[in-house]
Amino acid sequence: MAKPKISSDWMGGCAGCHMSFLDMDERIIKLVELADLRSTPITDLKVPDESGVDVGILEGSVMNTANEEVVHRMRERCKILVALGDCAVFGGVPAMRNFFTIEETLRRGYVETESTDENGKVPDDPELCKQTRVRAVHEVVPVELHVPGCPPDPNVIFYVLSELAQGRMPELKGDKINWH
Amino acid sequence: MVNITINGTSYEVPEGYTVLKAATEKGIHIPTLCDHPELTPYGGCRLCLVEVDGFRTPQPSCTLPVSNNMVIRTDTPAIHESRKFVLSLIFSERNHFCPYCQVSGGDCELQNSAYDEGMTYWPIQPNWKNYPVDASHPYIILEHNRCILCRRCVRACGELVGNFTLGVEERGANSILMADLGVPLGESTCVSCGTCVQVCPTGALIDRWSAYRGREEESKSQKTICTACSVGCGIEVFTRNNNIVKIYGDWDSAINKGVICEKGRFLPMVEKRERVLTPIVKIDGKPKAATWQNALEAVAAKWSKGEVAALVSDRLPAETLSLVSGLVGPDKVSVIESAGDATRGLKKPFEGKLADLKKSDCVVVVGTNLAEDHEVAGFFVKRLVPNGTSVILIDPDSNPLDQVADVVLKPAKGGEAALLQVLADGKATEVAAKAAELLAKASNPVFIYGKSASELTIKAAVEAAQKFHGMVLGTRGGANSLLTAFLGMEKEAQLDKAKAVLVVLADDEPSQKLIHQLEKVPFKAVLAAYHSQLSALADVVLPVAMWAEESGTFISMDGHVQQAVASINPPEEVKSSKEAVQEIASRLGIKVNGESWKDLLKSKAVVTEIVEA
Repeated sequence: MAKPKISSDWMGGCAGCHMSFLDMDERIIKLVELADLRSTPITDLKVPDESGVDVGILEGSVMNTANEEVVHRMRERCKILVALGDCAVFGGVPAMRNFFTIEETLRRGYVETESTDENGKVPDDPELCKQTRVRAVHEVVPVELHVPGCPPDPNVIFYVLSELAQGRMPELKGDKINWH
Repeated sequence: MVNITINGTSYEVPEGYTVLKAATEKGIHIPTLCDHPELTPYGGCRLCLVEVDGFRTPQPSCTLPVSNNMVIRTDTPAIHESRKFVLSLIFSERNHFCPYCQVSGGDCELQNSAYDEGMTYWPIQPNWKNYPVDASHPYIILEHNRCILCRRCVRACGELVGNFTLGVEERGANSILMADLGVPLGESTCVSCGTCVQVCPTGALIDRWSAYRGREEESKSQKTICTACSVGCGIEVFTRNNNIVKIYGDWDSAINKGVICEKGRFLPMVEKRERVLTPIVKIDGKPKAATWQNALEAVAAKWSKGEVAALVSDRLPAETLSLVSGLVGPDKVSVIESAGDATRGLKKPFEGKLADLKKSDCVVVVGTNLAEDHEVAGFFVKRLVPNGTSVILIDPDSNPLDQVADVVLKPAKGGEAALLQVLADGKATEVAAKAAELLAKASNPVFIYGKSASELTIKAAVEAAQKFHGMVLGTRGGANSLLTAFLGMEKEAQLDKAKAVLVVLADDEPSQKLIHQLEKVPFKAVLAAYHSQLSALADVVLPVAMWAEESGTFISMDGHVQQAVASINPPEEVKSSKEAVQEIASRLGIKVNGESWKDLLKSKAVVTEIVEA
């Protein structure tokens, strides 16, 4: 049997969950023995195979139309979608902006910061993606597995991926759940 | 007793129990949020739902009384689904993003409940409504965004503290905690006892000092007693790396059942005084850091037998008091601030127990500012009021209890005893007549007197209590003031003939009166934890432990013998007051016994019966 294919991607996050993934250290060798690690944002191949992968991992929340594209593409191309980390699971830090309007956040970011003044310009090029309300991944597409944590513990990530690589659905309970 | 079946096993439980209480006692876990063992059941959060045969829907076990042959199930898939749904609704209401919260990772009952149900995400996302943050209070931040409206704080504030500061305003999703009639918490009638923070199941009530300093699992915890006053509250001190993180009231303490006051919980956190870290000896009028050996030499050089007086704090452990008594002689020891001695001429115990206060239907308070000096005893009085207990306050000065009392009597200074007599004789007129009426119809009156009550007042209170078949309680002064009174130390210091004086101040703050008194004494040795005007005046200063660094025995105002246990270690050169006095005695070759109070206690009567732990 061919090794199961795993792809990952990120949206509105800090890359911390991928850092935590790398923090599994030498166990990553074990993982690539079990699974075929395909596209990730931290390797050369950036986009999941058009022919599909078995497991798709998403870090970060859905903040704009570009993120939506990433989510839908991953959903279409994977069998099991994993939301990795608090942003993907709940909305996380980026979701703080939901307490304000999008106009307010953009003005704060481009005009009112300590290093900008009233000459600051909110980017409005039609080529750019549109900001939306910040959402957890499961608000946009169905998710098979939620792995919360900010970031999730590397031991938990290793457990989840090694189980998935061996064709089992990981069970997160007890000390494996940590929302931080 | 009634028979009930929980998860297929039969149990016999007392009638009147709730299903939750019955299950908890039988070791069956039912998760709860709004319920608290020390508060009346509320049934607000619905997390404790159980299946009961004959009921169409799941029932909240915290408010459901048991009845005979009730069949209950706490662990079915449907119940777990209900719990998850209840938690989903709670999480969807406000901002429960865990990473920013100080209680996340073990100290949050909401988060723990979700973990227990294996929740990895929120099926219903938050509604992104912004609630205010009230940071107006010096010790507490009220973060409404994390509030789940369980009303534990509201109930604790009213039922345990009797303060009724907290309430809830508005309805539905707009419901919000409020202080008084909607003022900022810092400007409200809050007495800063912090009980609300201790009972909050989430991070909505933030203790400014302890937040982010360490969760409970990262801290060491030590149960001990508070030595701020003579009530003798049980406390739990959480420490991390030899620093106090937070102080909680001990729910298991028979005296205070978890309730403590600002002095016990928050004041130790804002201690600003500078520690004495080495012995100090004055050389040519200038204070110089010295070794313990040099400092002890300096004390010994000025020690002339029979001409040394000692002044002690009434917040020292029994052992230190005994040692000082042995060192200079029992007659030569007096407390730094006398709270009066009601024990003179005593034949048998005449005072009751604080715990019996809850049976009282009329409380007479005389000669004490309970809200200031023995705050938790004040809470015990205030929380009786909603049950119909009348409070009669006799105080010539203004007193915070004025607000609560049914009758406030303001006699001329010194007129308290006469007024009590008039009340007892039933000859009172005008306002006092109402007090006399309340007293006359009371079946369990309690007379509480404090340190500003004169001997005559105490006598009048005791007589009135006898007449009305009531009880007397004396609050006295510091943590060990019952013992200092018993040891004959509650008297004015006689310093005229003293050639030297030993002041065991520990962490107390010297009064101006004390400093003035001591100015005339040629040689002053001070055992202090903190620098003060007195330590500046002293010829020798020996650094001793503050309250959290010293273990020892304390006898509460109503006679409970309790052990204080050190929760942190003192700085390197600092010794406990026991060790320090012992060192002086050894240097002088005087034999002292730190346990002598025990034999004395057996040999003669005390104002109240002694309760050994």
